[in-house]
Amino acid sequence: MRYLTFALGKGRLAKQTLEAFEKIGITCQEMKDKDTRKLIFVNEALKLKFFLAKGPDVPTYVEYGAADIGVVGKDTILEEGRNIYEVLDLGFGKCRMCVCGPKEAVELLQHQELIRVATKYPRIAKDYFYNKKRQTVEIIKLNGSIELAPIVGLSEVIVDIVETGSTLRENGLGVLEEICPLSARMVVNQVSMKMENERITKLIYNLKEIL
Amino acid sequence: MLMKRKLLHTPEGVRDIYNRECARKLILQESLHELLRQYGYHAIETPTFEFFDIFSKEIGTTPSKDLYKFFDREGNTLVLRPDMTPSIARCAAKYYGDEPFPVRLCYMGNTFINNSSYQGRLKESTQLGAELIGDNSVDADAEILALVVNALKTAGLQEFQVGVGHVGIFQGLVQAAGLEEEAEQELVSLISNKNFFGVEELVGSLHMPGELKELFSMLGSLCASVDMVTRAKKLASSFPTILNALERLEQLMETLAHYGVGKYVSIELGMLGSYQYYTGVIFAGYTFGSGEPVVKGGRYDRLLAHFGKDAPSIGFAVVTDQLLAALSRQKIKIPVRDNGTLVVYTEAKRAEAIQEASALRAQGKWVSLARWEKDKPQADYLAYAKRMRMPDVLFIG
Repeated sequence: MRYLTFALGKGRLAKQTLEAFEKIGITCQEMKDKDTRKLIFVNEALKLKFFLAKGPDVPTYVEYGAADIGVVGKDTILEEGRNIYEVLDLGFGKCRMCVCGPKEAVELLQHQELIRVATKYPRIAKDYFYNKKRQTVEIIKLNGSIELAPIVGLSEVIVDIVETGSTLRENGLGVLEEICPLSARMVVNQVSMKMENERITKLIYNLKEIL
Repeated sequence: MLMKRKLLHTPEGVRDIYNRECARKLILQESLHELLRQYGYHAIETPTFEFFDIFSKEIGTTPSKDLYKFFDREGNTLVLRPDMTPSIARCAAKYYGDEPFPVRLCYMGNTFINNSSYQGRLKESTQLGAELIGDNSVDADAEILALVVNALKTAGLQEFQVGVGHVGIFQGLVQAAGLEEEAEQELVSLISNKNFFGVEELVGSLHMPGELKELFSMLGSLCASVDMVTRAKKLASSFPTILNALERLEQLMETLAHYGVGKYVSIELGMLGSYQYYTGVIFAGYTFGSGEPVVKGGRYDRLLAHFGKDAPSIGFAVVTDQLLAALSRQKIKIPVRDNGTLVVYTEAKRAEAIQEASALRAQGKWVSLARWEKDKPQADYLAYAKRMRMPDVLFIG
């Protein structure tokens, strides 16, 4: 039997994924060792391999077939726009992609005014403003602390992930519009889905049952 | 020097193929072409670029923004072909317009897609394929699918799967359920993502007869069994578009059994066509080591009508570069013949060397001549022959 390889987004997502996997009898003892320096973890009995990758890289590994299956946030899937199958909403890691800014900025979203939008997700922001709102905007790509942009005057609004909204509130910002809900998704390589259909379908059904 | 180094680069998305890889590619292409000849397909070459209209939205190929476009002196928009089928269809309408019987054409050439989101993906790739024009029978479908399977076998693949579907299934379902465009788009996106719980949820929230709901739920199977198709046919008994599509797939599988290739082919009820010109059976072939299908195709019964010939047709294309990548990742060797001889001669023995080379070439050897430079030892020439993969070296001097 061939190994099935999983690429998991580093961090909380990986932890929650492994918890879900454990419930359906898929365990990986090696991965629980906090001091390990291993990059690939193997479950020989079930012929499974796991590795951790940076979130945005997970769809890439899966698209090229370096991993058969990946678990990653919907935001990353939308932003990367890769040719992969998004087979299942895992339901955890729930949050929202939103347009945020100071209250005064609400006005700027009503008209076809050219405004500046700072974001870590240029593709999602562009799609939302150009195709859904039909508003021409200037997109500024940032790599972190997006909330700073409207405060220091780099942009009028931002597009970012909102979980509780407390960081926004503390800085005098708020959600102005919701773009889409987000959560963790299971993604599968196109060829793997065809060639290992039985094993992967079974996995999807088992996971769906415990969610 | 720096300037010269810069000159050596190729633009993103295109590449050189040389040496062993090029030899392997040529051998693969030649063996595939020989297979197509065995099935009676005639080679055809069409231009690398054509008028924009050949690949326009009405034809239904690659989206306009992904085409390489430029102008000729008269201001016409020209396009580098993104896929071969529209060109072949145009040719068939032009040269075989009055032919009442089927025409079989095969081709090989490079196609160009300017898609920036395909990071790390080739923009120029070689496609090799065949089109069976003017035949709407299930026999034609089976012949093309048998060719697809045999092409992948000829290439040396052992483990591969060809999924076959029919555009009529999804179209029929959308019609029968009377879906709004928004719901249809949503379903297309869910189905192309193989997110079948999402499909179930969405369909569950819509008003439609129970038969249709069950049919929608069957789209998830990537390998529909005989029982499932029988069940689907029963459910579709009052929806002729869906029923016809299912019956066609059933007949196709029966006919394929005569070719002995049935075990490589499975019915995928939820397959959606990659090009809009597809009207019937569609298929894609998958194997390990290539992240995407290595062969694609389908039936296009209305495409030739755009060019003035009413001829239902079906065809397929092998993405040669993908296939080569898959073969090399699966460690399947393409036997490259090493038949070279290096003849090294001194100036004094020139006549003799040329005669010897001619004689060897007549025997079928691949002979390179090299004049022996006085200051170079034999070892240098032996090493040179090795680098150039010539097993035999002959010194005349």
